[in-house]
Amino acid sequence: MNAAVPPEKFETHIEEAPRDRVKLETKSLDFFYGKSKALHGVELSFVKNAVTALMGPSGCGKSTLLRALNRIYALYPDQKAVGKILLDGQDILAKGVDLGQLRSRIGMVFQQPTPFPMSIYDNVAFGVRLYESLSKADLDARVEESLRRSALWDEVKDKLHSSGLGLSGGQQQRLCVARGVAVRPEVLLLDEPASALDPISTAKLEETIVELKQDITIVIVTHNLQQAARVSDYAALMYLGQVVEFAATERLFDNPKTQRTADYITGRFG
Amino acid sequence: MLAKRARRTAANTVFVGFCTLTTVLALAALVAILWSLVINGVGGLNLDVFLKSTPAPGSEGGLANAIVGSLILCAWAMAGAVVIGVLAGTWLAEYGGNTFYGKVVRFLNDVLLSAPSILIGLFVYEVVVRPTKGFSGYAGVLALALVAAPVVTRTTEDVLRLQARTLRESGAALGTPAWFTIRKILWRAARGGIITGALLAFARISGETAPLLFTSLSNQFFSLDMGQPMANLPMVIFQFALSAYDDWRRLAWVGALLITAAVLVTNIFVRILAREPRRS
Repeated sequence: MNAAVPPEKFETHIEEAPRDRVKLETKSLDFFYGKSKALHGVELSFVKNAVTALMGPSGCGKSTLLRALNRIYALYPDQKAVGKILLDGQDILAKGVDLGQLRSRIGMVFQQPTPFPMSIYDNVAFGVRLYESLSKADLDARVEESLRRSALWDEVKDKLHSSGLGLSGGQQQRLCVARGVAVRPEVLLLDEPASALDPISTAKLEETIVELKQDITIVIVTHNLQQAARVSDYAALMYLGQVVEFAATERLFDNPKTQRTADYITGRFG
Repeated sequence: MLAKRARRTAANTVFVGFCTLTTVLALAALVAILWSLVINGVGGLNLDVFLKSTPAPGSEGGLANAIVGSLILCAWAMAGAVVIGVLAGTWLAEYGGNTFYGKVVRFLNDVLLSAPSILIGLFVYEVVVRPTKGFSGYAGVLALALVAAPVVTRTTEDVLRLQARTLRESGAALGTPAWFTIRKILWRAARGGIITGALLAFARISGETAPLLFTSLSNQFFSLDMGQPMANLPMVIFQFALSAYDDWRRLAWVGALLITAAVLVTNIFVRILAREPRRS
């Protein structure tokens, strides 16, 4: 994957998402790690209040695409996105976009749970305190609501003021979801959130995801096909920095239009 | 097959035996030092040590002026070194560490870290003591801070670099400004390591004599005036241990014991204070 080498050509099939319900979309999006090009003209739409799964083999660019959507890559000076990413029609790659404000609208949960070294309560309240000055009672209510939505409340309600580092891996990951949800984002990006979790924790996290999509647009990176089938409404298969196929999840799994997708979901490729 | 196995078992036994032996040797040296400190120091311990100042030969006295002097010098030096060291280490780890200027700063810090402390004493003598025409507590504090700050800088940078990249990203993903992520998340996560660095620096300067030789000098009398020469334990030990008087030599041992005890107690105390409840 070098800038000088043109992207590999292969058969693709990208269906149109319902135009009036698109929350976030990329327009001929290229991505560079230094000189190496990791995304080639990605055109993808994410439907409002739905779950979109990004699938594909390791190194296909699915995490790169996700990390472009909230511009978290901007932490690293050698990484660069070219093209357009439209959030409600506004280009977030444009100059002068306030990254703090952008990331309060587009939250993110990472592969490894990353609780902050503070109490469970303070973890959830951390982002809220950045943007809003709520009264103690309102903040308490927000923390409870967020923990309930991430299906963690019952397990932690009696120890809100003990350290978030004392939770199990699965609980820590749901704490990170609660922390992201607490600032009331419009979009939530999940980067293989269940890959470090056991099956029971994974099931709980998936329930949470389905519950959250009532008012949050969700993009989830996964290379677990069953997970994509279970939680997502739309799915995209990526390969070598391009989108191979994008469609409603059911259609994509039941009736893949490209050979590569068919091979991938039957386990012959990837 | 069996011969090979026997050879490996033998090699393993020799290796483990060697490791054990060297560990015992190192520990034996430490125990011998502590033992002689206790044997020679405890006998001279009494209330007068803490209440009276250093005596003339043959008269009654204690180490009160040196104890208080050392506390003041070390406290101010550590206050300065921790502020400068933590900020410099943070800058190196989070902001400028990969720039040319950052590399120069890191290199110079490492040079300072390994510089003989007597050179630091001489430096402060040249830039502070000579122009102000007098030994002073201020000069002593500056010299000790110059010894301690590179230690704090280095350890702070190292422990911050050990923090997971995703922790920084998680902060940023909430829209947190970088400085706020550093202050509220990274410093907390790295707290144990930063404190260890500060304690190492404190342990180092608490016994340093060379930087004080040309700066704070010493003072036979009790003084809280930082503008004047200030008594301190290392200088008193140096002076008394080499003397011909038995009572002075006894006080030197007591002083050495006190420094060791102070470092130990500070270590335990700070660790208890800084303990983070991991599991609830």
